[in-house]
Amino acid sequence: MDGKKLALTLAQCYGVSGDEQSAAHVAASYLKGWGEVRSDALGNLICTLRAPKDGGPHMMLCAHMDEIGMIVTHILPDGFLRVAAVGGVDRRTLLASPVKVLGREKLDGVVCSIPPHLQRGDDAKKIPPMEEIAVDVGLSFEQAKEKISLGDRVVVCHSGAAMGEHCISSKALDNRAGCAAVIRAAELLKDEELTCGLSVVLSTREELACNGAKTGAFGLCPTHAIAVDVSFALTDDAPKEKCGELGKGPMIGVSPVLSREMSDGLIRCAKDRGLPYQLEVMAGPTSTDADVITLTGSGVRCGLLSIPLRYMHTPAELVDVRDIESCAALMAEYIIDRFGGTEREAD
Amino acid sequence: MEKLMRLIKDLSQIGGVSGDEGAVRAYIRGQLEGHCDMRTDALGNLICKKKGAKAPAHRLMVEAHMDEVGFIVTGITESGMLRFDTVGGIDARVIIGKPVLVGPQAVRGVIGTKAMHLQSAAERDEMPQVETLSIDIGASSKEEAESLVRLGDSGVWDSAFVSFGDGFVKGRALDDRAGCAIMIDLIQGDIPFDTTFVFTTQEEVGTRGAQAAAYEVAPDVAIVLETTTAADIAGVAPANQVCRLGKGPVLSVMDKGTIYDKGLVRFAMDTAKRRDIPVQIKEGVYGGNDAHAVHVSRSGVRTLAVSLPCRYLHSPSCVLKVEDIAATRDLTAALLGMEGPAPAL
Repeated sequence: MDGKKLALTLAQCYGVSGDEQSAAHVAASYLKGWGEVRSDALGNLICTLRAPKDGGPHMMLCAHMDEIGMIVTHILPDGFLRVAAVGGVDRRTLLASPVKVLGREKLDGVVCSIPPHLQRGDDAKKIPPMEEIAVDVGLSFEQAKEKISLGDRVVVCHSGAAMGEHCISSKALDNRAGCAAVIRAAELLKDEELTCGLSVVLSTREELACNGAKTGAFGLCPTHAIAVDVSFALTDDAPKEKCGELGKGPMIGVSPVLSREMSDGLIRCAKDRGLPYQLEVMAGPTSTDADVITLTGSGVRCGLLSIPLRYMHTPAELVDVRDIESCAALMAEYIIDRFGGTEREAD
Repeated sequence: MEKLMRLIKDLSQIGGVSGDEGAVRAYIRGQLEGHCDMRTDALGNLICKKKGAKAPAHRLMVEAHMDEVGFIVTGITESGMLRFDTVGGIDARVIIGKPVLVGPQAVRGVIGTKAMHLQSAAERDEMPQVETLSIDIGASSKEEAESLVRLGDSGVWDSAFVSFGDGFVKGRALDDRAGCAIMIDLIQGDIPFDTTFVFTTQEEVGTRGAQAAAYEVAPDVAIVLETTTAADIAGVAPANQVCRLGKGPVLSVMDKGTIYDKGLVRFAMDTAKRRDIPVQIKEGVYGGNDAHAVHVSRSGVRTLAVSLPCRYLHSPSCVLKVEDIAATRDLTAALLGMEGPAPAL
């Protein structure tokens, strides 16, 4: 499978939190050959590649498939739309952005931008609050009411493209890059003899308190899990100690809320297999699905792998595809090391 | 109309930041081959002499600018990031998170900053200085970046041309490629009087191309075909909207650069009325255009600006209404039939 194409295809799907069906549909098309695919009441996409033995270990690989965006809250008398943020929208990126309004039909629009001639003093430096953000869909009030329902989601468009030798840029690489890694890991593991059950969960609503992963993990009741998300890749203006580096491999999470045993195991596996990795050390909750997976039922051992990503929560997110691939490889190798059916020689 | 819209779409996809208008000029030259006498002057202006049915009593120049606002690469960092400056007036608030194309090879890039999660509360509400931003082309080193981009390369937003809503279009650089497209359309047809059409350069950095062109052409009367800021959007009081989409071409009486010829404004109003073409007067004294340079050329040129009302000027998402484009073309065509100098008032 071409990892670049997979990640870009997934990232270009629409799937703002709570409305992930389009993304789920495309993701399911990759998974369905490898196991039964189903969804739960909150829309999580679940694929069990290998059922666990009764009382035996069950590994869940989880990545959230929802993306940040906006939701239509009001149609103004002149046909412009008021919107609220779904997840953490970086308002500095919104003005004059091309958008899609995702109702019964998909409509193009533009985020209104007050022209410079009407700005006073420091206005040009100020970012309007969400309450002042409006979307221009080129329709009158009556026309807009006909085509748009309150609650329709809105996404900022970015056509997505390969850049440089190894990079891609698109909207929603947070966390379709993670979805791509999990799908690739599933592909690497689909024919492996394993002593554990193996399921994939592409979760919904992560950007709102990880609500999808709560029910997704509960439904599976795994014994072990690896959550895959994105984390900050270093740019010139960011604090170095809080960032990984692009192209240097997945960031293995180390945190009081994660399973130390699994973090250590992932590190050991990366070293043994010569896979690139970096560490991401956090002092508490990780702000990923791992936080809720660990507390499912009577508790789940959970590790966290993060793909370094620049410009998080903007339409121009950027990742190095090699990090997706090495993340998938690390997951697969770790699971084979730990639950492989046949003994492997240590390198 | 279909042909005119295709011209606008094509032109909006070509990069032509001020001082780097060659690709736009080449496209226009291709369109006009065989329709007029063409010459490119020292500043890159494309001067087109078009024969009409008759010789006019006065010398008429119609002009529109080819250049657009954009970016210029000023440095390449050790980590392979491009430092840049803006060319022309760009609102810093429409830069972050936007995809761009850099240099003659149209290398893809994005303009980003650190993630919002790493920003302080104050940072989230304030635009960073443009000087602190950079363009990321996915290069992992200075050497890799230098193999793709040179200092001085131009950058433009990467923005699709899209039809949307009730007869609207959205695209990059519609300021002033829409004006260029209307001129191409007129030159490709028959016109009543000999007319000089000029596609100018460097408007966005001080109407510089027009200054040289107006001197060279030495017109008696000039029509500047432009786009002008429309603020008929959510949250703007009617008195501040300046002009409105769907209400036809905009005639300026005064802006920051020019007080326009009253006789020509009156003549254009009367012509529009007679032809049943909608027209509106620009409400407010804002902005400026090539008229600034043209009307003070030599011993003075009687000058009129006919503009398309345009939302979100100088952003990746300029928005025009198709019916305004048609009306502006029709009004300009009618004005080409000016029998003699309109009476001065």
